[in-house]
Amino acid sequence: MGSRVPTTMRIAALAAFLALLSNLAVLGFIHLRTHDDAFDVLRQRATEEARALDDVYRSGGRTALDDAIRGTLDAGDSQIMIAIVDTEGHPVAGNIAGPLPPVARKATDFAIAQLRQADRPRVPVEAGIVVRPLGAHYILVSARSFGERLAFQRLLEHSLLLALFMSLLFGAICGLVTARYVGRRVRAIADVVDEVGEGDLARRAPIGGSGDAFDALSARINRMLDRIGLLMGELRLLTDSLAHDLRSPVGRLRARVERALMLTDEVQRDAALGGVLAEADGLTRILTTVLEIGRTEAMASRRQFAWVDPTELVCELAEMYEPLAEEKGVTIELDAKAPLFPLMAHRQLLAQALSNMLDNALTYAGSGGRMTLFARQDEEALRLGVGDRGPGIAEADRAEARRRFGRLDSSRSTPGAGLGLALVDAVAHLHDGWLDLADNEPGLCAVIVLPRKAKGRGGTA
Amino acid sequence: MGRKILLVEDDSDTAAYLARGLAEQGHVVDQAADGRDGLFLASEGSFDLIILDRMLPGLDGLSVLRALRAAGVGTPVLILSALGTVDDRIEGLEGGSDDYLVKPFAFSELNARANALFRRADGAASAAVETRLTVGDLEVDLLGRTVRRAGRAIELKPREYRLLEYFARNAGRVVTRTMLLEHVWNYHFDPGTNVVDVHVSRLRRKLEEGFERPILHTVRGAGYRLAAD
Repeated sequence: MGSRVPTTMRIAALAAFLALLSNLAVLGFIHLRTHDDAFDVLRQRATEEARALDDVYRSGGRTALDDAIRGTLDAGDSQIMIAIVDTEGHPVAGNIAGPLPPVARKATDFAIAQLRQADRPRVPVEAGIVVRPLGAHYILVSARSFGERLAFQRLLEHSLLLALFMSLLFGAICGLVTARYVGRRVRAIADVVDEVGEGDLARRAPIGGSGDAFDALSARINRMLDRIGLLMGELRLLTDSLAHDLRSPVGRLRARVERALMLTDEVQRDAALGGVLAEADGLTRILTTVLEIGRTEAMASRRQFAWVDPTELVCELAEMYEPLAEEKGVTIELDAKAPLFPLMAHRQLLAQALSNMLDNALTYAGSGGRMTLFARQDEEALRLGVGDRGPGIAEADRAEARRRFGRLDSSRSTPGAGLGLALVDAVAHLHDGWLDLADNEPGLCAVIVLPRKAKGRGGTA
Repeated sequence: MGRKILLVEDDSDTAAYLARGLAEQGHVVDQAADGRDGLFLASEGSFDLIILDRMLPGLDGLSVLRALRAAGVGTPVLILSALGTVDDRIEGLEGGSDDYLVKPFAFSELNARANALFRRADGAASAAVETRLTVGDLEVDLLGRTVRRAGRAIELKPREYRLLEYFARNAGRVVTRTMLLEHVWNYHFDPGTNVVDVHVSRLRRKLEEGFERPILHTVRGAGYRLAAD
């Protein structure tokens, strides 16, 4: 915030400086092309003429001077102006109209003054002037008026000076205006960011429609705000549904505790308390899974990636679940024959995802008698999945199946919190892949598809 | 056989509950309520086990652990934490702890894990390479990876053998399901179903079929125990 004003000033100064520089270049060029030594020549001649008349006065006195003046004026040089002036400034001889300006009476050296010629007293002309004293009461004013060219040159130089000054002024004004404009647009965006920061998530940065850099910046900030809003919405939805979905296990827990409190028989009470413990453990498991999903979706787990042999992984899980499946009368067929490329993956999470899929297949399709755990590979992707022969999931319900707390059975009679496939989905995303739910004809085929070349890594918009 | 345990835990309810439970098991418990005190006491190196909460005021648990290990204190450390995702556990274990237990937990689970750590420390101290484990009439030959009960050979699959070996190394003590998952399968997640129980009951069938006395016992609400009685 503190650097905003200096920036404005800096922009103004820069604009003024640039205007000055460009004007200086133009003016310098004009000056160079028009200026010559006419002025110096004039000065020299005026000084010489004054000295000549002075010499005449010194040698021949006033009479000789009057003669000399008359002679000079008669010669017909229209630029020559000569006068003998009294102390009040009134000419007593010569061709200059009085009264003379004070500067014209004091210039013992060379000076420039506005004089009027006696035959055209209305038109002042600029002239180079030299003054010599003539005794105590008179002075000799010897002048040479500027020619047309010199007068024009003088005018041009004055104009150039004025233009220089104006350019400096306008440059500064232009800079200030620009800086204010930029500052205003930045401030408009900053204000929106501030307001969003203070909690008003509905605010959006203004877009002028001209498509300039500020609009592009606003659009980007707005996109970010949209994303934040979306995430906040999702978070709120998740928290709401978490609160809602924890209500029933907490309620069951409470009911069990109450029942246990009412029991007087110790054996029965112990059994009831065991149920309470199981209920509490289930609750903990739900919370852990929700956290795990959140953490996985935040992609925070990539640090734990290491090389995993997919064949080994599915073999291990098949072996792990085989006794449980056998107890339920299901055989697990393992399909991972071809040698597979090792995979950069999170072994724990991948195993947990597969374990969830196996668990689902056993819970919902246990009666099918047969299920397949497979790891297959083609040019495009590695597919890890479980196919069962159960009732499957209708196409319309598949989105619900992978949602957190999504339950297909609305009566919620089968145990489970509906987090299993949501975690699988999150794990697949963590590995730049996705969860594919397909018809196994009959049954469900749930597959984690992991593309061989992860194109989207880091570059998804 | 009482042990000296340092309990570093800032929640007074949990600390009191743990201290009472551990005292009932015959252990001597010292307590610290924040990371700095914990580190100070633990630096003495006179404890058999440090139970360390991860989120502590002053100095967090993992920092205490790192400081201890950097100072060359090798006392077994069991981390207690409300941070329970797979990554949190791995981070804790890689940070130098010997075990990791997520809150909320059952006291039996903590006790079982503490005992396993004591046993491991004792085993390391005795320095003798064990080649044979004996539990009652059950013999496990660690070199040949064969199992005999009352002189009769018992055929086990590789996973069943690893299960039994873990039980035998913790003979007489309670082993929980999650301990089995972590040590036998190297998985740090909870499958939620009774996967482990089914493996254990298979093993039990093989160990007990045709013998009069049971040897692999179920401890209700806690886990299993391999013992002759």
